[in-house]
Amino acid sequence: MSADSVEIKGEMTMLSVLQLASPDMVQVRQGLRSKRDSLPTLFAGSPLVVDCQALGEECQKLDMQQLRTVITDLGFIPVGIRHLPDVCIEQATQAGWAILRGGRVPPAARIEKPATRGANASGKSIEVIDRPVRSGQQIYFPDGDIVVLQHTSAGSEILAGGSVHVYGSLRGRVLAGIQGDTSARIFCQKLEAELVAIAGNYRLLDDISTDLKGRPAMVWLEGEKLKIAPMF
Amino acid sequence: MSRIVVVTSGKGGVGKTTTSAAFATGLALRGYKTAVIDFDVGLRNLDLIMGCERRVVYDFVNVINGEASLKQALIRDKRTENLHVLPASQTRDKDALTKEGVGKVINDLREDHFDFVVCDSPAGIERGAHMAMYFADDAIVVTNPEVSSVRDSDRILGLLQSKTQKAEQGDSVREHLLITRYSPSRVEAGEMLGMEDILEILAVPLIGVIPESQSVLQASNSGSPVILDKASDAGQAYDDFVRRFLGETVPHRFLDVEKKGFFKRLFG
Repeated sequence: MSADSVEIKGEMTMLSVLQLASPDMVQVRQGLRSKRDSLPTLFAGSPLVVDCQALGEECQKLDMQQLRTVITDLGFIPVGIRHLPDVCIEQATQAGWAILRGGRVPPAARIEKPATRGANASGKSIEVIDRPVRSGQQIYFPDGDIVVLQHTSAGSEILAGGSVHVYGSLRGRVLAGIQGDTSARIFCQKLEAELVAIAGNYRLLDDISTDLKGRPAMVWLEGEKLKIAPMF
Repeated sequence: MSRIVVVTSGKGGVGKTTTSAAFATGLALRGYKTAVIDFDVGLRNLDLIMGCERRVVYDFVNVINGEASLKQALIRDKRTENLHVLPASQTRDKDALTKEGVGKVINDLREDHFDFVVCDSPAGIERGAHMAMYFADDAIVVTNPEVSSVRDSDRILGLLQSKTQKAEQGDSVREHLLITRYSPSRVEAGEMLGMEDILEILAVPLIGVIPESQSVLQASNSGSPVILDKASDAGQAYDDFVRRFLGETVPHRFLDVEKKGFFKRLFG
């Protein structure tokens, strides 16, 4: 009966991929730390796959043991490494790395990714928030759109995989299309945001033209340029 | 059934302790058995404002640690019947407050049939403030007409929605906004945020506006809650606030610049 107590299945799982651009551990540590600190709740204890494609021959300068330490030190769980030249594989396995087959890596930026609406377990593709989003609060919903029925405060943060709609004053930061969906948009009743971003293209609204401020507005991405226009 | 009310703000120096003292006194004056607890362990002030600093033997932390009974530590107010003060400890820090310990004290007060327990929160969003709000049914959020105070209050409102027992149970803490140190003339001159602006940012029901007043400082220094100063505008505004809290409909006062009468204009 002991064979029934466990089961091994082949399964696809979403994992974060750390793409190395430099073999220098000090730089890697700094870069990874700032990424983590920007979204501590999202990244705490999350598994990480290291991708070395961008490094090419420089992989030989990588200290596999130290790379592992850096990743665990910062609270991530190293899962495996991929796109490693053959010469480095032995060093990596000795350091305890699992060697993964290279996955399909989307080219940097500009991804025409179909929105994954309703793909999550609960089948929910919209998150509706019916209270004000206060300073210091963060609404994170990677699976679709976020709709806020009230205002959002300065110092709040909204992160959506899809679009963001705010039926009140928008005063905090809003990041739409955080998983690369360039078709995501931001709509609001009163634009007073600190920062808006779509698929990683951001703009501070410090210098926003005065006729847009406080008006209903829409933000979208045209190429790599963030456009903001009044709605009515 | 006791009602637990936290007086909080995030920012320091906006008038939490002044408000706690006035509020608790106002409730007690109307016949409700009221306890007011100072959660500012290490920076104890409430006893001074209440004028009972020379009668502190045991404190809140002693009760939490089981070194004294609640009965021993509660100080009965000399001026106002039904009013009891639980002072903070001056020699300890806020880590002495545990959720279990605070919960037990609150429960004991409930069993003692207190109608209201007013929790005077310390500034900040750390342990002391968290413990003060954790068991609350109602929250009085004290705000000054000034941007940093408003933002800190916004942050506190967010915490009230996530870090309280009510929130953990899927319920919510009733929120009330109290604006203090309001100066209509400075609002008119554009030096201060107006009431409408604050309400627009915070979107919380307004329960009172306390005007900037000399009498607050005088009351603090003499150890007598300002609500007892019936002649002062701040005392009257605090009284209005208590009545509103108890469900009465009372129009807001002291919102406009006082129009000087003919004689006042003549003689200044």
